[in-house]
Amino acid sequence: MKLTFSPEDEAFRGEVAGWLRDNLVGEFEVLRYRGGPGDEHMFPEERKRWEQKLAEGGWTCVGWPQQYGGRGASIEQQVIFFEEYARAGAPGRVGHIGEGLAGPTLIAFGSEEQKQSYLPGIVAGTELWCQGYSEPSAGSDLANVRTKATQDTASGKWLINGQKVWTSLAHESDWCFVIARTDPDSQAHRGLGFFLVSMHQPGVTVRPIEQLTGTSEFNEVFFDDAVAADIVGEPGDGWKVAMGLLGFERGVSTLGQQMQFQNELDEIIRIAKANGAATEPSIRQRIAEAHTGLRLMRYNAMRMLSDNGSSEPDSSSLVYKLHWSSWHRNLGALAMDVLGPEAEIIESAPYNLTRLQSMFLFTRSDTIYGGTNQIQRNIIAERGLGMPKEPKGR
Amino acid sequence: MDFTFTEDQLAFREAISRFLMTEAPPEMLREIWDTDDGRSPELRSKMAAQGLTALSVPEALGGLGMDDVAWALMTQELGYYAIADSMADTAYVATGLLSALPEATPRRDEMLSKIAEGDARFAVGHPVNPLVADVHLADVILLEHNGEIHSVRRESIGFERNPSIDSSRRLSRITFSPSDETRIVDAAQGQAIWNQTLNRGALAVAGQSIGLAQRMLDLSIDYVVQRKQFGKPIGSFQAVKHHLAQVAEKIEFAKPVLYRAAHALAQGEANVDLHVSHAKLACCEAAWLAARHGIQVHGAMGYTWEVDLQMFMKRAWALDSSWGDRAFHKSRVATAVLADGAPIGPQFTFGE
Ligand SMILES: Cc1cc2nc3c(=O)[nH]c(=O)nc-3n(C[C@H](O)[C@H](O)[C@H](O)COP(=O)(O)OP(=O)(O)OC[C@H]3O[C@@H](n4cnc5c(N)ncnc54)[C@H](O)[C@@H]3O)c2cc1C
Repeated sequence: MKLTFSPEDEAFRGEVAGWLRDNLVGEFEVLRYRGGPGDEHMFPEERKRWEQKLAEGGWTCVGWPQQYGGRGASIEQQVIFFEEYARAGAPGRVGHIGEGLAGPTLIAFGSEEQKQSYLPGIVAGTELWCQGYSEPSAGSDLANVRTKATQDTASGKWLINGQKVWTSLAHESDWCFVIARTDPDSQAHRGLGFFLVSMHQPGVTVRPIEQLTGTSEFNEVFFDDAVAADIVGEPGDGWKVAMGLLGFERGVSTLGQQMQFQNELDEIIRIAKANGAATEPSIRQRIAEAHTGLRLMRYNAMRMLSDNGSSEPDSSSLVYKLHWSSWHRNLGALAMDVLGPEAEIIESAPYNLTRLQSMFLFTRSDTIYGGTNQIQRNIIAERGLGMPKEPKGR
Repeated sequence: MDFTFTEDQLAFREAISRFLMTEAPPEMLREIWDTDDGRSPELRSKMAAQGLTALSVPEALGGLGMDDVAWALMTQELGYYAIADSMADTAYVATGLLSALPEATPRRDEMLSKIAEGDARFAVGHPVNPLVADVHLADVILLEHNGEIHSVRRESIGFERNPSIDSSRRLSRITFSPSDETRIVDAAQGQAIWNQTLNRGALAVAGQSIGLAQRMLDLSIDYVVQRKQFGKPIGSFQAVKHHLAQVAEKIEFAKPVLYRAAHALAQGEANVDLHVSHAKLACCEAAWLAARHGIQVHGAMGYTWEVDLQMFMKRAWALDSSWGDRAFHKSRVATAVLADGAPIGPQFTFGE
């Protein structure tokens, strides 16, 4: 156990902070504190340029190995990077699905050729990715995927047919990783493949879904003989790759998320002090609980990352999603209660929400996406605690 | 002790419920959302024709003379169908305030008769609410100033509209200059009436919250019966069942609290504040849980604009802190319970 940063790490901190101070200016000034959860539809063009700006400074994919264009930063330095990024109020990353999910999956499961062709675009911030897992009949039951992949005998290309839904940022993305059924006679998690599909082709149609916020961050995506550029692993390996990817979802990127949470909590505390809510005993206690809950999350994440390398989820990573999503949902409610009767007033007509309102509404979905709380509890009980599986209908 | 309702009360509720079911479906509320005023004069006059605006106007002035207990049923229907504020504010809250005015107050009877006929829209501005609902269409606005009651016409005040997260709430921030002309009751009499009005507003929200909770529960049950995952309706999973069973439990336990408070308000009982705050807390908690669990069992569907659940959730969230937020009502309960000589102990448990 070692809980302090070395002098080199502190120097690194200075470097990150300095770069952000010098570069989060001018046209990027408007992006401060924007584009986070619930605000992901905002400033897409500016944020795409910001992604490239980061890349120029070498600040994308900091935790990736150097051979793939990353910085090979240690866990400590990644922590520092996320801390400074959040401290500067730098915007939500449009490239996070590529950097946090697609890239690490390719590094772990892709061929050398695939790494050479897809990773540079992610590192450069020029190619954005989205995640094509959920379908109308495959939500919690992800293995019920019906989208089909058939190999064209003449060209050897895989053709994708089917529909995905709730695909975040599909409308801004260049690529989608898609789970599709390679064996039409297969069921559940057998017979799936993991495909890389360009969004810029006639066979792909993106239709935005309006969210209760009045904005659209997720979409329906229709594949109609869309050509897959690649398959990662073999046909039939799709489930293994897809689950490996979900492991990355619980990785270092959670640290960045915690820093955003800290920003939100700080904002709530600031308001509570200003409007007097902080003198209310029940509010004080909830603020204290929010603080301790966030610390707990942070220590747990550090512990989880300290023994990285093992891709087997251990019990600390199994409980992680459940904890943060429930914590964040409570934080949303706390924000509204701190604002009191003013909480319902939106920024402007027709339906422009304030930052905290967007946050509040978005936190209603935290316990749903990426595996609902109920599914998380089933996983903890069945995989973590070895309890018998729930009887399934199939 | 009798928690049952009269035949009349129940029949009236049933009639209003049937009426709103056909006249105020969600599609129609969405259309109204999109209008500038956010109100449908047509729906309103139909509701008046059903007798809603006359419900608690004294019989002598053309009303039905029913009290807070009847309204405890009616507000649930207004909530269930997410009817906008102007109805409860005029027909229940403002009517209660006007009825409590000394009989000689100028224009009192005239205003009450107009309400009974369905021709007047009233807005009520109590200091516990920084914003006032439905000022933009109100004919008369009743406002508080140092305990006095002032009655003003919309043309004579300044107001700035502030849209709400619930598109059916139409709120405004008001500026007005109180004067001898606008004052209808002085502080000596006004203070008690304002306190009663606060309680009535809080009960109106409490009743609507129960209705909203029930609607969210019904929508969720419909959804989990029909949505399948893992080859079964998701409603067959224990976790999903328990989510909705908990909501039902909250709703059922909140109802008698609401009725007890309505009775206390109608009878002018001494500890009415305690009962009303308890009701507001219990009912809003039911609505809050119904929203939280409702969206959870809907999965991503519940996070869309298209699925009706959002309409009822947003209304529940917005009403939660109107007419006194949770902290306000909790502290009123604490004040009553912790007071020296507070009537607690076995000899007081029920009747009080
Ligand atoms: C904001 C947002 C962004 C998203 N982004 C993406 C994206 O980019 N890419 C993508 O692929 N997907 C995305 N999703 C989809 C997300 O992964 C799914 O919503 C999630 O997996 C749940 O599926 P569902 O919505 O179909 O709910 P359902 O699976 O229908 O679940 C409904 C309810 O039933 C419960 N339930 C289901 N099965 C069981 C069981 N066995 N035991 C107990 N309870 C059960 C659930 O817990 C839930 O409460 C996003 C969702 C949201 C809300």
